[in-house]
Amino acid sequence: MSDTPLLELENISKFYGNIIALQGVTTEVRAGQVTCVLGDNGAGKSTFIKILAGVHEHSEGTFKLEGQEVNFKNPREALNAGIAAVYQDLAMVPLMSVWRNFFLGSEPTKGVWPLEWIDKAEAKRIAKEEMAKMGIDIRDTEQPVGTLSGGERQSVAIARAVYFGAKVLILDEPTSALGVKQSGVVLRYVVEAARRGLGVIFITHNPNHAYPVGDRFVILNRGQSMGNFAKEDISQNELTSLMAGGAELEALQHEIAQAQNS
Amino acid sequence: MSDTTAGASAAPNADERLAYRGVFQRALVRPEIGAAIGAVAVWVFFWAVSVKFGQASGAQSILDQAAAPLGIMAVAVALLMIGGEFDLSSGAATGALGILTILLVRDVAGEAAGAGFSLWVALPISLLAALGLGWWNGFLVNRTSLPSFIVTLGSFFVLKGAKLGFSKLIVDQIQVGKLDDLAIYAEENGVSDKGYGLLDKVFAGEWIRNEHVWDSRDWVYSIGTLAGLTLVVLAVYEFHFRRKDVMNPTGLIGVVVGIALGLAGVWQLHNTDGAGANTIGAALIGAGMLVGFIGWGVWRYAPHTQSGTTAGRPDGVTAPLIAGVICFVAAILVGTWMDAQNGEDLTEAFDLGGGTSLAIAIVVALVAMIWSAGTGGAAAGNVIGSAISAAAAAALGEARARVISTGIVAILATLGFLNLSTEQGARAIIFIALTGAAFVSLITAATRSRRHSDRAGSALLLLTSVALVVMAFFVQSESSAPKFRAEAFSFMLAFAAIMAVWAIANTRFEVRRFTDTSADTTARNMLLSAVLLIVVGMVARLGWVTTEEAEVGGSIVKYSVRILWFLGFTAVVSWVLARTRFGSWTFAVGGNKEAARQVGVPAARTKTQLFMVVSAAAWLVGVLLAFRLNTIQASTGDGEEFEYIIAAVVGGTALTGGYGSTIGAGIGALIMAMAVQGIPSARWNSDWRFVFVGGILLLAVVANNYIRTKAESAR
Repeated sequence: MSDTPLLELENISKFYGNIIALQGVTTEVRAGQVTCVLGDNGAGKSTFIKILAGVHEHSEGTFKLEGQEVNFKNPREALNAGIAAVYQDLAMVPLMSVWRNFFLGSEPTKGVWPLEWIDKAEAKRIAKEEMAKMGIDIRDTEQPVGTLSGGERQSVAIARAVYFGAKVLILDEPTSALGVKQSGVVLRYVVEAARRGLGVIFITHNPNHAYPVGDRFVILNRGQSMGNFAKEDISQNELTSLMAGGAELEALQHEIAQAQNS
Repeated sequence: MSDTTAGASAAPNADERLAYRGVFQRALVRPEIGAAIGAVAVWVFFWAVSVKFGQASGAQSILDQAAAPLGIMAVAVALLMIGGEFDLSSGAATGALGILTILLVRDVAGEAAGAGFSLWVALPISLLAALGLGWWNGFLVNRTSLPSFIVTLGSFFVLKGAKLGFSKLIVDQIQVGKLDDLAIYAEENGVSDKGYGLLDKVFAGEWIRNEHVWDSRDWVYSIGTLAGLTLVVLAVYEFHFRRKDVMNPTGLIGVVVGIALGLAGVWQLHNTDGAGANTIGAALIGAGMLVGFIGWGVWRYAPHTQSGTTAGRPDGVTAPLIAGVICFVAAILVGTWMDAQNGEDLTEAFDLGGGTSLAIAIVVALVAMIWSAGTGGAAAGNVIGSAISAAAAAALGEARARVISTGIVAILATLGFLNLSTEQGARAIIFIALTGAAFVSLITAATRSRRHSDRAGSALLLLTSVALVVMAFFVQSESSAPKFRAEAFSFMLAFAAIMAVWAIANTRFEVRRFTDTSADTTARNMLLSAVLLIVVGMVARLGWVTTEEAEVGGSIVKYSVRILWFLGFTAVVSWVLARTRFGSWTFAVGGNKEAARQVGVPAARTKTQLFMVVSAAAWLVGVLLAFRLNTIQASTGDGEEFEYIIAAVVGGTALTGGYGSTIGAGIGALIMAMAVQGIPSARWNSDWRFVFVGGILLLAVVANNYIRTKAESAR
């Protein structure tokens, strides 16, 4: 593994007027590693992704991609630089087939303009192959994406991002809408993507999902960074309590216990 | 936590959760299949009640009516609807662009019609105007983010007003003409006709059938259509059965014998006449099918292995079986009774006046609705609610489908019976309704018992085909129209034979329950060749006359070149939709615009281009109208946009966007043309035709929707 991290963030902050949406986030993403960003609702996770994916620019701090300082103006720039975001709504068209979704917007073509048509056989073959690399055997790539399970849909989105040359993959709450088993499936894809040499940023509010797959953890709370830990520096319990605001959770437990006793 | 590596333990396999879908299920989820079935049903219905539908003149008027303005526009509008937008200005635009074209070739200042631009200039200018209109619609929709429904409604009124305003301002009339003044002007002044002569052929040329004699036409027709239909059946076999690892060439003997028998049957049909000879011909073809299809199966498919029956009675078979038998007997009884009444005007006996009949219609509809909504009332509801509701109810089994379709059909059937029909029509409606209900119920029973065991399903299917044979003979002996008699007889026998052989094949060969890409490709190619063969056969039949027919004379049938424009346009648009990036993006912006944009689809540009396709189609239709009619009314096309949308919806396009078919829209246009043409040619009161059109729309949407959800869920 090279010494320069893929992404290096130092004291990243974002202000909307006088509102501090995000302050002092520092972390790094290395190729083949998973960096988890944890936080409860309103912790600033979305703002963080949007800065990484080029939707917003950061107000303060330094944002380095492969050692070069960058500042993305729009999602296209970020995408071209190799940062792909897979959002919660998945960017999938449910009524369209798997292969069409896989290649949507970047279809391989044959022929010359104006007689240019999609190379369907090639597209289907690649889609099937790429899905197989993620460990999913889709026999019929003509199947509408809407008929896939939530986990499989995630995998299509991830496989697509990987195929189109992403170096950094941002996954926005990929497990939040899924059942226990499905979440397990998606976590496997997260590990798989990292194993294939991508830097993965895994955003979640569930430390049980984050801890097993993560190599590094950033905890956000109300826009503030609560710390940036390597896996060996933190236990799962510490992670959970940090994320929920530690002391607050203890107070809550205490309160509930009292309420139950009375 | 112990479940940390949940994902690493078992490799997820989509296949295990993805059950194999059979050929019929896969066919039914395609949006255009419902429309195609509907088109055949409507055609058969009118073919049974009117003489004209079976003739070339009938085909000509349906195709002409379907082609333009309806068909071309329906296809373009369907494309736009798949992209998630509507264009309410599309109807008015057809007239506006036709008027613009004519105005451009007039010399306005000199008052001399035909002294203006050459057509070579006028047509590109009006096309540019059309594209500008489409661009403007798209621009407004994208920029304002308002629903296109309201934006294009604005464009509609502007166009409607502009058409009238400019017509009055420039020619001081509510119509603009005449395009063929170009030819007159050219002749009078000794100048060029500015492209009129050539372009008139391009946009309004005609193929006069009676002038084209071709004596071996019927051979091409029979062999083409029969070979095509055979290939369709074989393609279904290829989709349905599992291939052998090693082919058994012995089966090919059966295939050869089958083909020989079939050809002998065709020869017999051609060279002799009379019912007896027809029966022998039909019997030969039927025997040929049996030997040929089974031989084909022996050659290619693995023998049946699934062992016998599961214990217990299959579910849901008894009700449709009883309903089917009741309907079948009732059909025969009604047919016989009606024939006994032949000569008396049934409509007089039932002529109760408008108010009373409407009241009866509503009461019957309500009773049928309530009845069929209750559980267990399905069979009774079937009988009362007449054919199509029974079809929907039995096949779909959805309470709501039953209620809605029963109600609609009951209203329609009652209205039709009391108000629309002649005696023949009344008989046809009741007879066809009962027969249809009988066979749909029987086939439903067969399909359901197949889930139980192949043998039980095949037994019921054989029973159904026997019933069909009985019905064929009944039709032949009882029907008063000889033409109908012979055609219906052979058609029903052929269908019964196909069904019987299918039933037998299902007990002899193993059904394929997995995806076999190579077999699917072969089958698809067979289907394609089959369609080609049938088209060749039909074109021969419809486009040429034999010497004998030419001598007899008869009505002159002229096919307009607009039919080719329609077919060509549909083909090109469908190819674009299925095979190009633009087509993929159309589905994407209609299905989930935000998602499409996120992955880099230029959503706004795609939508604008879709609007431009629609207005370009409106230009084509306007030009076709201008060359056909020479004069265009200021009101031409106003309000027709809803017909385009109806045709698209009947063809399986979703109003919500992201789903649909342009071929389906073309078929939808055919259905509507058949409804419009069929009512007068059945000599019904055409004042009521919109009741029929409305009913077809509702039924088509309900049926499409339920077939789709049913097929999607039953995987």
